Amino acid sequence: MRTTGSTPARPERRALGALRAAAGYAAAEAAAAFRRNGLMSAAAVSTIMAALLPVGAAVVLGANLRVVVAAVEEQVQVVAYLQDGVDQTARQRLVARIRTLPGVRRVAFVARDEALRRLQAALGEGVSLRDVVETNPLPDSLEVALLDPRQAREVAAAVRPLPGVEDVTYGAQAVDRLLALTALLRAAGASAAALLGGVAVIIIMNTIRLTIIARRQEIEIMQLVGASPWYVRSPFVLEGALQGLAATALASLMLVAGYLVLLDRVRQTLPFLPLARPSEVLPATVLALSLGGVLVGVGGSTLALRRYLQV
Amino acid sequence: MIRLQGVTKRYPNGLLALNEVSLSVAEGEFVFLIGPTGAGKSTLLRLLYRAEIPTRGRITVAGRDVTRLPARQVPALRRSMGIVFQDFKLLPHKTAYENVAFALQVTGSPPEEIRPRALQALEVVGLADRAGALPWQLSGGEQQRVSIARAIVHRPPLLLADEPTGNLDPRTSWEIIQLLSRINLRGTTVLVATHNRLVVDILRKRVVELAGGTLVRDEDYGLYASQA
Repeated sequence: MRTTGSTPARPERRALGALRAAAGYAAAEAAAAFRRNGLMSAAAVSTIMAALLPVGAAVVLGANLRVVVAAVEEQVQVVAYLQDGVDQTARQRLVARIRTLPGVRRVAFVARDEALRRLQAALGEGVSLRDVVETNPLPDSLEVALLDPRQAREVAAAVRPLPGVEDVTYGAQAVDRLLALTALLRAAGASAAALLGGVAVIIIMNTIRLTIIARRQEIEIMQLVGASPWYVRSPFVLEGALQGLAATALASLMLVAGYLVLLDRVRQTLPFLPLARPSEVLPATVLALSLGGVLVGVGGSTLALRRYLQV
Repeated sequence: MIRLQGVTKRYPNGLLALNEVSLSVAEGEFVFLIGPTGAGKSTLLRLLYRAEIPTRGRITVAGRDVTRLPARQVPALRRSMGIVFQDFKLLPHKTAYENVAFALQVTGSPPEEIRPRALQALEVVGLADRAGALPWQLSGGEQQRVSIARAIVHRPPLLLADEPTGNLDPRTSWEIIQLLSRINLRGTTVLVATHNRLVVDILRKRVVELAGGTLVRDEDYGLYASQA
């Protein structure tokens, strides 16, 4: 047979050209499908978005809870309230004794007047303690900072029987409750994501099915002339991935905007509440959402191809 | 080029489409596959391009064992053959040229080779001047020529045609068969399933007749009707 008149190109350049042509074809077909099934695509995109939002919210909330836990852990310390009338020598002996206990990082004496000042500062300008109580009801105390918050219980037990100690408190219970809350939140976010993710996959399968039906003639010819399976499939997979990405973009936008507004409100009303800075949480969250969105999109289209595209 | 050994095809609904068919077609042959509707002609072709898998028996096409071909090698098999149908199977929104070029594009041909090869294929079928026409602007015969151009654009060693003249008037049918015969003269093995008595009788090529799924006649220089 005759050869064509075209100049022979180097094999790698030819392969690259064919690959570029294939990629262009897949992109053009995916875009055409997006236009063709506009309403169905919109439904798919908004469903994936609805699936991604609780996931994103859970990630952001989880990050904030971690910040709170860290702050609380930082503050976990054993406080030993001293009996009235413990003199300075007895107190210094007690401090020296506590310093030798395992797990103790630092021991600080807080005089009762100092304790009252701190309480007043925490309550703010709105309430004046002097109006409520005539004399200072607070005892002197020793604040025992720990090397590890989990040792609070043992250190407290060791301090309690020492001479001059009236009572001992420690804040580990709060940490335990916060950690439990974090786990609960994570589980709730995961199950909401699984449920809505399943719905999103089904909707994507349906949009891809419509595209397959719209293009069945073309697909049949492609298969008859020997197009490779990935060439036939790539536009559909790309269409699903695009839907996932669009949903990710929308969900991320809403989440970022929502978090910034929330942060602003919280700073005004509850300034002492430790919240994660946007730069700490948002990049990771958007990344997780993108991954989830593309995964759902590609998964849905792959399932649809397996089900509706006869080879 | 083609070899069938004791091929039986029973469809899932129980229909026995082919029964113990053995057939051998050499390279460069032109063969008419004849028989009434439902005799098994289309099934035989579908087995050759691996749209169906035989229930029993062995099929080799161009050295490939089609019966044991893994699915991922089916595209390679189909690129080694051209297939022409009664209903042309052209894409309605693509021009004649685009329909032919499509076969090269979707099989990953280098972009710079697509244009010259597609135009050359259109020239072979005598439609170089209608390259820009859409299918509805072409007559039935011209549409079938476009589909033949698409089938030969890969320069396959084998051309399968399933009732290529089924939708055409006698004069156009004759032109199409002549075109297939010309392609055969260039060295391509051609297998034409038809029940068009006229073209079979004029061309006097090898005739393989199926009846009820069984091969009942295999005759060189045959006529449509058996002379025995």
